[in-house]
Amino acid sequence: MNDLAALLSITAKDLRSEARSRAATVATVFFSSVTLVVLAFALGRDADLMTRAAPGALWVALAFSGVISAAQAYQSDLVDGAFEQLLTLPVPRAAVFLGKLLANWLTMTLLGAVLLPVSSVLFDAPIGAGVGLLLLTIALGTLGFAVIATFYAALTANLQARESLLPVLMFPVVVPVLLASVRATDAIVTGGDTGLATDWIQLLAGFDLVYLVVTSTIFHIVVEE
Amino acid sequence: MSDDGARHEAVRATADGPPAIVLRDVDRRWGRERVLRGVSLEVAAGRIVALRGRNGSGKTTLLRLLATRLRPSSGRGAIFGHDLVREGAAVRRRIAYQSVQSGSYGALTARENLALAATLTGAPHARIDDALRRVGLGSHAGRLVRVFSSGMKRRLGLARLLLADADLWLLDEPYASLDEDGRELVDDLLAEARHDGRTVLIASHEPERLIGRVDAALEMEQGVLRAAPLTAPVPVEAPVEATA
Repeated sequence: MNDLAALLSITAKDLRSEARSRAATVATVFFSSVTLVVLAFALGRDADLMTRAAPGALWVALAFSGVISAAQAYQSDLVDGAFEQLLTLPVPRAAVFLGKLLANWLTMTLLGAVLLPVSSVLFDAPIGAGVGLLLLTIALGTLGFAVIATFYAALTANLQARESLLPVLMFPVVVPVLLASVRATDAIVTGGDTGLATDWIQLLAGFDLVYLVVTSTIFHIVVEE
Repeated sequence: MSDDGARHEAVRATADGPPAIVLRDVDRRWGRERVLRGVSLEVAAGRIVALRGRNGSGKTTLLRLLATRLRPSSGRGAIFGHDLVREGAAVRRRIAYQSVQSGSYGALTARENLALAATLTGAPHARIDDALRRVGLGSHAGRLVRVFSSGMKRRLGLARLLLADADLWLLDEPYASLDEDGRELVDDLLAEARHDGRTVLIASHEPERLIGRVDAALEMEQGVLRAAPLTAPVPVEAPVEATA
């Protein structure tokens, strides 16, 4: 069996399941939209303040929506013992993890790509010239977030209090990714400082690499009882 | 060693052939509770063995341990010579496990579920439609599994068994939720497994149905495994002695 084919088939399964149930999509789009609108409304008339707040608002919306999405990540697997069955098949544990991670990442990146122009309009934050770097920041920031979210969602999947435990466990670990993402976005949107943004993006890529290697290496410990 | 004060001798389900399953002094604990107690077992390849016992006696725990879902708390075991802990990936290439749940994704169709299983086990996708027809789900291949009855889900699990060309089947209550037609299908699959030389360990609360279909029977009682006669349930107060 080809491990890449296994990985991609798990991703396709998760995306197809979500496309049919829309359970996470509806919740995340609704929640992130409300977050952005409320923050924009609260900051109201101060145009300069709104522009400076835009990067933080974007990542707050993405982060909290990401938690909602992550909490749903293993729900379809737990019904009828499907995840149990999956783990008895001759598939490397890392392929299972990376397959689910890829589905989560694609979902979050798509959400980020949608929220970017929305937050630009709501917060009057220009993105024209730096759109490429902004999309790269979103891709790397959501990757780091999705790595941690997918890992901790597996860790808490069988717990009754998983929805309250998941953010408590994952946010301390994911803070470096969020800070680097906000700083990179801020450098692009408010300062137009490409050099500073690139520094933060490189740091973000470093976080992603470390998180990815560590979590995919130890995932088997999480799922074997 | 078990708390019973004596090491249990290996329950040898069959005497000849290379061992498909070997367990030596396996304990499994959930917290302080010992669910498996000094389980030793040897099953030769190609044999069909019934595993029975009351609810909570440890049957499912034993099957999950053999399927590499649980690690032994102590002791060791191997499937076709592959260590359960250190060579889990090699073990999973030789087994097919059907749990008491269907193991299917409700948001996928029956065919999509089998396509996923085929990709993950390396089985030819050309077998999918045949497998579905064989278990009586040919006309339901394109339906989402979440609308299936529990019996139909069990049949889908049997179709998954047919897809993978596994050497060892670990079946947890395969007759559950099935109508008589479905139960006869399980009987047929056991006969085919025997013909094909597969090894089967089958946990069931229906020992009478398995008479004539299995080579040996094992009884699990409060985490302790013993040999049992093929004809009738073993009285709790007079367990059959293990044979070496």
